[in-house]
Amino acid sequence: MTPLVATPVREIDDDRERRDLERSWRSKPGLVGWLSANTHQKIGMRYIVTAFIFLLAGGIEALLMRIQLAKADNTFLGPDRYNQMFTTHGTTMMFLFAVPMMEGMAVYLVPLMIGTRNVAFPRLNAFGYWMYVFGAILLYWGVFTNTAPDMGWFAYPPLSGPQFSPGKRVDFWAQMITFTEISALCVATEIIATIVKQRAPGMSLNRIPIYVWSMLIQSFMILFAMPAVMVASTVMLLNDRTIGTHFVNPWAGGDPLLYQHVFWFFGHPEVYLIFIPALGFVSAIVETHSRRAMFGYPALVLAQLGNAFVAFGLWVHHMFATDLPQIGESYFTASSMMIAIASGTQIFCWIATLWSGRVKMRTPIYFVLGFIFIFVLGGLTGIMLASVPLDLQVHDTFFVVAHFHYVLIGGALFPLFGAFYHWYPKMTGRVMDEFVGKINFWLLFIGFNLTFFPMHILGLHGMTRRIYTYPSEMGWEPMNALATVGAFIILLGGIVFILNAVNSRKNGEEAGPDPWDGGTLEWATASPPKDYNFLNLPAATSRYPLWTDPKERVVVTGLDDTRREVLVTTLMDAEPHHRLVLPGPSIWPFLTALFSAIGLYGSVFKFSAYYVAMLGAFVGLVGWFWPRRREAES
Amino acid sequence: MRTASNRAAHDSKRLPVCLRHLRIAATTAYFVRGSVCAFARSQSVLDPAGPQSMHVFRLWSWFLAILTAIFVIVLALTAWALTRRHRGIEQEPLERVHIPSRETERKLLWTVGSGIAATVLILFGLLIASVTTGKAISELGNKQNGMVVEVIGNQWWWYVRYVNDDASQIVVTANEIHIPVGRPVRIRGTSNDVIHSFWVPELNGKRDLIPSRITDEWIQADRPGRYRGQCAEFCGMQHAHMSLWVIADPPDEFEKWKARQLQPAVDPSDLHLQAGRDVFLKYACVYCHSITGTTANGQVAPDLTHFASRTTLAAGTLPNTKGNLAGWIVDPQTIKPGNHMATLNLKPEELQPLVDYLESLQ
Amino acid sequence: MIAQRTLDVSELPVGSVSSHAPLWWGQLMLALIEASMFFILLAMYFYIRLSMDVWPPPGIQLPPVRPATIVLIPLVLSAAGSYIASEAAKKNDRGGMLLGLGLNIVLAVLFLVARGFAWGEWNFNWRATAYGSIMWGILYLHTIDAVADVILTVCLFAAIALGYTSVKQRLGVHVDSILWYFIVLIWLPAYVVLYWGARFVGAR
Repeated sequence: MTPLVATPVREIDDDRERRDLERSWRSKPGLVGWLSANTHQKIGMRYIVTAFIFLLAGGIEALLMRIQLAKADNTFLGPDRYNQMFTTHGTTMMFLFAVPMMEGMAVYLVPLMIGTRNVAFPRLNAFGYWMYVFGAILLYWGVFTNTAPDMGWFAYPPLSGPQFSPGKRVDFWAQMITFTEISALCVATEIIATIVKQRAPGMSLNRIPIYVWSMLIQSFMILFAMPAVMVASTVMLLNDRTIGTHFVNPWAGGDPLLYQHVFWFFGHPEVYLIFIPALGFVSAIVETHSRRAMFGYPALVLAQLGNAFVAFGLWVHHMFATDLPQIGESYFTASSMMIAIASGTQIFCWIATLWSGRVKMRTPIYFVLGFIFIFVLGGLTGIMLASVPLDLQVHDTFFVVAHFHYVLIGGALFPLFGAFYHWYPKMTGRVMDEFVGKINFWLLFIGFNLTFFPMHILGLHGMTRRIYTYPSEMGWEPMNALATVGAFIILLGGIVFILNAVNSRKNGEEAGPDPWDGGTLEWATASPPKDYNFLNLPAATSRYPLWTDPKERVVVTGLDDTRREVLVTTLMDAEPHHRLVLPGPSIWPFLTALFSAIGLYGSVFKFSAYYVAMLGAFVGLVGWFWPRRREAES
Repeated sequence: MRTASNRAAHDSKRLPVCLRHLRIAATTAYFVRGSVCAFARSQSVLDPAGPQSMHVFRLWSWFLAILTAIFVIVLALTAWALTRRHRGIEQEPLERVHIPSRETERKLLWTVGSGIAATVLILFGLLIASVTTGKAISELGNKQNGMVVEVIGNQWWWYVRYVNDDASQIVVTANEIHIPVGRPVRIRGTSNDVIHSFWVPELNGKRDLIPSRITDEWIQADRPGRYRGQCAEFCGMQHAHMSLWVIADPPDEFEKWKARQLQPAVDPSDLHLQAGRDVFLKYACVYCHSITGTTANGQVAPDLTHFASRTTLAAGTLPNTKGNLAGWIVDPQTIKPGNHMATLNLKPEELQPLVDYLESLQ
Repeated sequence: MIAQRTLDVSELPVGSVSSHAPLWWGQLMLALIEASMFFILLAMYFYIRLSMDVWPPPGIQLPPVRPATIVLIPLVLSAAGSYIASEAAKKNDRGGMLLGLGLNIVLAVLFLVARGFAWGEWNFNWRATAYGSIMWGILYLHTIDAVADVILTVCLFAAIALGYTSVKQRLGVHVDSILWYFIVLIWLPAYVVLYWGARFVGAR
C-alpha cells in the first residue's frame, strides 16, 4: 500500500460520485421501505428514540413510586401495583433504556468515527432493533394487562418460581430478556466486526478514538455477560416454571443461590456495559471542548480494559448477606475496591485534560462536571458497599438505591445527556440552545441530588428497599417527601430537554459539519450525514485527523459508488485489504424478527412454541440469504 | 453564513461553576445534619447497641471521613482545573494548538501518577480495615455463654425458637425475640418459603434466610432496650409489613420472661374468656395457629400461646391492643393485603370474647 | 471537481474468502457467545453437585459411556469435511466444496442419529431433580446448536450445488466451518462432564 504521506493529489469528480452514492444508498419508499431500511444512522436513530421513550416510561414508573412513598402509610398505590411498579421500573431502565440507548448511540456514531459507510452487518443491525421492539412490546403488554412482573428486576427464586409466583408475570419478564439480550448480542457482534475490519486506512489501533475503544471493549463484555442472563432467566427460571426442571428448586436439589450467582455474573458486568460507553462519551466531550488531545490515551484505554476484566470478578458483592465463606467474600471486597483504580485513573486523566486545555464551558462540559460530582460520590459509596461489614448493614436498603442511582445516573445518564448536546448538531444539523441547555443541566443536577442524596440517610436509618409503605413513627417521611420533590424537579429537567431538542430542530442555529472544532472523523462530513456518510471515505493520518492541516488529509477513491461498497482494512494497522459490498434494503430482518417473536411469545405458554420460533427464524433467514440471480456466476 | 462552526473559534465566558458546586454541597450538608438529629432513631445503623454493630459503626465513621475527604479533593481539583488561568497552552506555539508542551505533559504525568498511587494505597488501607473488622465481628461470636435462637422466615412473619438440648426449655414464639443483655446470641436462620433477610440494625448486619440452607450470625445487646428489625429481602406482597422486635432485658428479667414463656397457655379464668377460647377452637384458626395447652396445633402461623405478651401484632405492623386485634381478626386483608390469614366470618357476639381471650394469653 | 490527496483502492479484490472477512469475525463472535453459555452450564453442573450428598441422586442410572464415546468418531470426522469444504471455498473449487460439505452433512447426521439412540438410553428426564435438569440442559443445547448448523450446511450445499458460487456463498461455506469446529470442540469438555463427571466427583 502507498504510505499515506506519499499519496498523490488528484482531481475527484465529486458531482458524479454524489449522484451515484445517493442512488445506491437510497431507502425504498413507504411502509415497506421504512421496515426494510438498514443504514446505520436510521437504525441508530430508531434505537435512540425508542430507548428515550422507555426512559420516560421508566421515569413515570419512578414518579408513581415516589408519590406513594412521599407519605407514610400512603394508599396511592397498593402493594400489588407498587411491586409491579418497582419491578417494571428497574426492568425498563436496565433492559429497555440503558443498554439499547448505548447500543443505539454506538450504531450511529461508530461508523462515522471510524470513517466507513455502514456497520459490517446491516441486516443483523435491523434485526436486532426489531427484536428489541418485540421484547419491549411483550413486557408492556404485561404492564397494560395487569400481568407486569412483580418480583423485582432480578427476580430471585423461590419467590419468582412456580410455587410463589403463579401466573404469567414472571414468564413475560423472563422471555422479554431473551429478546433484549439477542438484540444486544447482535449489536455487539456487528460493532466488533465493524471496528476490527472497517476502520479508515491508517487508523491503527493507537489511533482509534477513545469512544470507539469503549464500544469495542463493551461489545466483548456483552458477548461474555449476556449468555449468563439467558441461562438464569430462560434456562433456569423459565424452565423451572414451565417444564418442571429443578435448577433453582431447593426442594429437589436445586439452589436459589445458583440463580443469584449466574444472574449476578451477568448483572455486575451489565452495569459496566452501561457505564463504559458513557466513559467514552466523557472522553469525546472532554477532548473536544477542552480543545486538546486527551491526556493519557494509553492509560484511558487500559483503564477501560481493566474495568471490563475486573467487572467480571465482582459479582458476589451482591450476595454478601447470603453467608458465603468469609475468605471468598474478602476476595470480592478486594476486587470491588480495586476496580476503583481503573475509574480513578480515568477521572484523573480527564481532570488533567481539562486543566491543560482551553475549556469552553458549553452544556456538554456542564454534564461532564455533573458526571464527575455525581459519579465520584456514587463510586465512593460503592467502596463502602464493597466492605462486607458495611454492606451487611446497608445492603437492600435505600442506601444501595442511592448508590446505584448515583453511579448509573451520574456515570451514564449525565454523560449521555452531554453526548446528546454534543452530537445533536451532527445528528440534526442544528445546535441545541445553550442557555436552555444549562437550565436543563441545573434542573437535572439539583433534582437528582435532592431525590437521591436523602436516600443515603434513609438507608442508614433502616429503611429497606422495595417496601410499598412505611409507618410514620419511623421518621422516614420528611426525607421521602424531599426525595419526591426532587423527582418532580428531574421531571421538569426532562421536559426542558425535550422542549429544547424539539425546538432546536427548527429554530436552532445551523451547525455545519463541525460546530465544536472537533478532531475525530464524524465532524468531517455534513450534519446530518447523508446515508452514505462521506463522499470519499477519509483516511486517518493521526489520532485526530481533523486537527491536521487540511492539505495533509487523505481520502479513499476507487470504490464502486454504484453499489453499497465499503473498504475492509487489516486489524492492527488498518491497511486496505479488500472491498466489500454491503446489502441494500431488505424486509427480511423485520420478518425474521416477527416470525421469531411469534414463537417466543408462544413459548411463555408452551415450550413447544420454541420450535415455532426456530422454524420462523429459519424461514426468515432463508429469505434473508436467498442468493441473487447474478451471484450464480462464479 | 453564520453557523456554530464559524463561531467555534471565538471564546465564551467562563462561569464560576466551582462556587455553585460548593454552595450546593454546603446546603445539602446543613440540611442533612439537621435532619439527622431531628428524627426517631430506631432501626438505625448509626445507633449501635451491641459490639457487632459498634464495630461496623466505627468502620463506617472511618470510611465516611476518608472517602468524604477524597470527594472534596477531587471536586477541588476539578474546580481548580476550570478556573486556573491558562498560561501554559495560551503561550504554546500555534502549530501545537491541540497538544500542550512536553513539560506540561510530564508534569501532568507525575501528578496523575501520584494520584493513582495514592488511590491504590488508600484502597488497600480501607480493604485491610474492612477485612479486620469482619474478622473481629465473627470472632465475637466464639463465646462460651452464647445461646442459640432459631429464626425461620415465612411469608410474612418470623418463627422463633430458643434452641436447647433440654426439650422442656425450648421456647417457641413469633415476631419478637427477647435476649438477655450482655450475652451473645446466635441467630440460626432459614426459611420455609422464599428468601427473607433478618436485620436488626442496632445489633448487627443482616443475614439472608434461605430455604434449605442455614445461615448464621451473632447478635448481642449491651444495653437494655427495644430494637426494631425488618425483613430486608423482597419476599412478596407484604414484604413491607414483615418487621420484628428484639427486646434486650436485664438477665433476671429475661429469666422471668423465659419462665413465663415455657408455661402452657393461661387457662381462661371466667366464662367470658372460656367462650373466647371456644370461638378460637371452633373456627379455622386452629388450622394455622397453635396454643400450647389447647388442641390448637397449627404450624404455619405464629404461635399464640403467649400472644398477649408481645407488643405488636402482624409482624410489627400494629401495636398489640384490643382494638387493633379486633380489626385484624375481622379484616386482615385491608391491614396487610395478600397475607395468608383467612378472613373469618365471625358472628358479632363472638368477636369480643375471642379478643379478650387472646389478650389474656400473657 | 475537487483536488485532494487520494488513496486509490480500485485494484483491491471485491470480497475475500478468508479470515479477513468481517463475516469470519461475526461467526467467531457467535461461537464465543455459545461457548460462554456452555461454560456457564458446565460450571453449574459442578455447583449443583456440591448441593447434593448423593451423586447421581438415587434412582438415576449413570448414562452409559460406550455409546456416547463411539458417537465421538463421526463427530470428529465430520470436522474433516468442514475443513475440506472451507479450503475448497478459498480456491473456488466447486467440487471440493460439495465433497467437503457432503461429507460433513453425512457424518453429522450420522452423529445426530446415533446421539438420539444414546440419549434414549438415559433413564431419567429433566424433571428428575436438578441433576436431570442440568444433564438434559447441556445435552439439549448442544443438540439444538448441532441441528441448526447441519441445516445451515444443507442450505449452503444446496446453494453451491445449484451453481451459486459467488464470493458470498463461498465465504458462507468458509465461515460455516468455524461453527462446526465449535460444535465439535465444545462437545469435548461437555462429553467429559456429562459422561465422566459423576465418575470423578460422584458419591453414592
